[in-house]
Amino acid sequence: MVLVDYDCCRCRNIHSVQSKVSELVEQTATEKAKQQTWEMGGRGMITVKDLTFSYGKGKQALHGLDFTVDDGEIFGFLGPNGSGKSTTQKILTGILTGHGGFVSLFGQEMASSRTHDFFQKIGVLFEFPYLYANLSAVDNLKYFASFYPKQQARDVFELLDQLEFKKDFLKKPVSSYSKGMRQRVSMARALISNPRLLFLDEPTSGLDPSGAVLFRKIIQEERKKGTTVFLTTHNMVDADLLCDRVAFLSNGTIAALDTPKRLKEKNSSHQIVIHYLYHGKRRERQVDALELEKGLSFPHEEIISVHSQEPTLEDMFIQYTGRGLS
Amino acid sequence: MWKGFSHLLKKDVKMMLSGKFFLLALLSLILYSCYINFIYVNVDQENCRVYLYDPNNLCSAQSKYINRAHSRQELETACSDRFSIGIDFSADPPEIYMLSSGAEKMDRYRVMWGEAVLTELAEEKPVMVGSYVKEERSRREITAEFLFFELSAVGFLGLASVLFKEKQMGVIRVHGILPVSKAAFILSKLCVFLWSDLIFSCLLTWMNVGISDSLAILPAVLTQAGILSLIMSLTGFFCAVLLSDFKQFSLFYLILAVFASTPVFLAGQTGVSWKWLAWHPMHHLFTAMKSAYFGKTAASFPYYLVCIGAIAILFYGACHILAREAAKEG
Repeated sequence: MVLVDYDCCRCRNIHSVQSKVSELVEQTATEKAKQQTWEMGGRGMITVKDLTFSYGKGKQALHGLDFTVDDGEIFGFLGPNGSGKSTTQKILTGILTGHGGFVSLFGQEMASSRTHDFFQKIGVLFEFPYLYANLSAVDNLKYFASFYPKQQARDVFELLDQLEFKKDFLKKPVSSYSKGMRQRVSMARALISNPRLLFLDEPTSGLDPSGAVLFRKIIQEERKKGTTVFLTTHNMVDADLLCDRVAFLSNGTIAALDTPKRLKEKNSSHQIVIHYLYHGKRRERQVDALELEKGLSFPHEEIISVHSQEPTLEDMFIQYTGRGLS
Repeated sequence: MWKGFSHLLKKDVKMMLSGKFFLLALLSLILYSCYINFIYVNVDQENCRVYLYDPNNLCSAQSKYINRAHSRQELETACSDRFSIGIDFSADPPEIYMLSSGAEKMDRYRVMWGEAVLTELAEEKPVMVGSYVKEERSRREITAEFLFFELSAVGFLGLASVLFKEKQMGVIRVHGILPVSKAAFILSKLCVFLWSDLIFSCLLTWMNVGISDSLAILPAVLTQAGILSLIMSLTGFFCAVLLSDFKQFSLFYLILAVFASTPVFLAGQTGVSWKWLAWHPMHHLFTAMKSAYFGKTAASFPYYLVCIGAIAILFYGACHILAREAAKEG
């Protein structure tokens, strides 16, 4: 079943609509193939089996999580506050110990993988831009880069340039930066070591729309290089545009895990709303997606717009977890 | 794991420089030295004045420290400063008249001094106390006290303030995912403060005890300074990580200053003695510091054993709470 969304698009004839539908059918087929590869196992960068964690008696944060993240995949971890996503990320980054179940990263069990070598291979962007306020962006990055082998660390100036950091502020202390600038320096800090596994917590938070687009582009470039990305976010646009798969976390359990497209498709009404002109009047008709493949059966003069009735990722989240994201 | 240690060290020095810590230490050094050299050594150098009321000229002593009183009333008025000593030869047997200074030990010294003046013992070596002249003794005593105060109070605050800054900036969390050990993170801070405290101790001792006299006592002084610096820095580290904000820290600092340090200073300054002071850890550190300034090896093997044990426990605890802090929410 194929759903299309041509908001604000004026289609002159039905043939262009049909060709777009065909393109999307192909796209979905590719995603299906990708999905099958994951289902078969694939090369797991992160493997989590029956993960549990408790902050004390009666404070169980995670209730047996199961998921794998493939090498080179962008994996979205979505959940409202207190759902356990930060706890999971802390366990995966080696900050939090004492969990139950099985966790492996880079093919090694977590308990034995938390070594100097492990920390050299990961990059973490925290939710807040944690930087030395009295040091400049350059000094901060040079300091953090100094803990990695020289051949591994990226060039500070090149990285900041890639992140479109204002050159005037390179040598000024971080305390004089805006939130967006701090976020750029934090992103640079996470990327400075050329990590194989990148943990991103709300990467586009505090950025203007062009900054958010830039960050998404950078994340996608990282993926092209083969970096695996574990993305924790509230931002449905980020998750939808970036993630190969997303997991919906609620009360310490995974409520759903699939590609964003499939999650939406599974719960689609498969209806399409078409706005068109007939006898000079604007009209609307709801048709079944399958029906559309045969062509438009109703008389019309001009197609104004075609809207799929596909639910959003946020709708899906609410449906699966019964809670909003905020 | 220790590869990044030099970078941590460099960063901590930068943090201390930006926090004006070294400037504060320099100002303290100047202030203490000015007080010792221009005020402290010039006061309280006078021996207790001895007033003699001897209407019948029974006393044959001719000491230059004796002041004659012409009446009992004059003798009592002269001794009302709670410092001077009166000897009344009109009574039989002669009476010593003096008002208590409030410190039993001090009163005993005053009586001994009065007797020495009467028996003319004071004429030979009137101001010798132990093997040091009075000014020398005073210098060593006050320098030991100031150093103890500086290391225990200011040193404690210094590390805590640096760590509070890092905590507020959230960078402790970043160190949780860096390829550097938590022990190195703590040790670099300790090293910077230890070096700073040792340099401070050297300068304070040289400036106030004298360069040549310092040479003999510096190894012992630096040992005690090192122990105190490590213990107080680690305590400061503990408090800064455990307490949520600087207000709570200030309150804790006040409690520490009032209840932990004051009795020790009181005992050291006034001669007041409490039996429970033997169980006060700061008292032993204070005594060891004072002993070091007088070239004594009062500090025993159990003392060093307890100190090393305390440092090791504090260090282990610091590593543990640092890991906890790194895992905290933003």
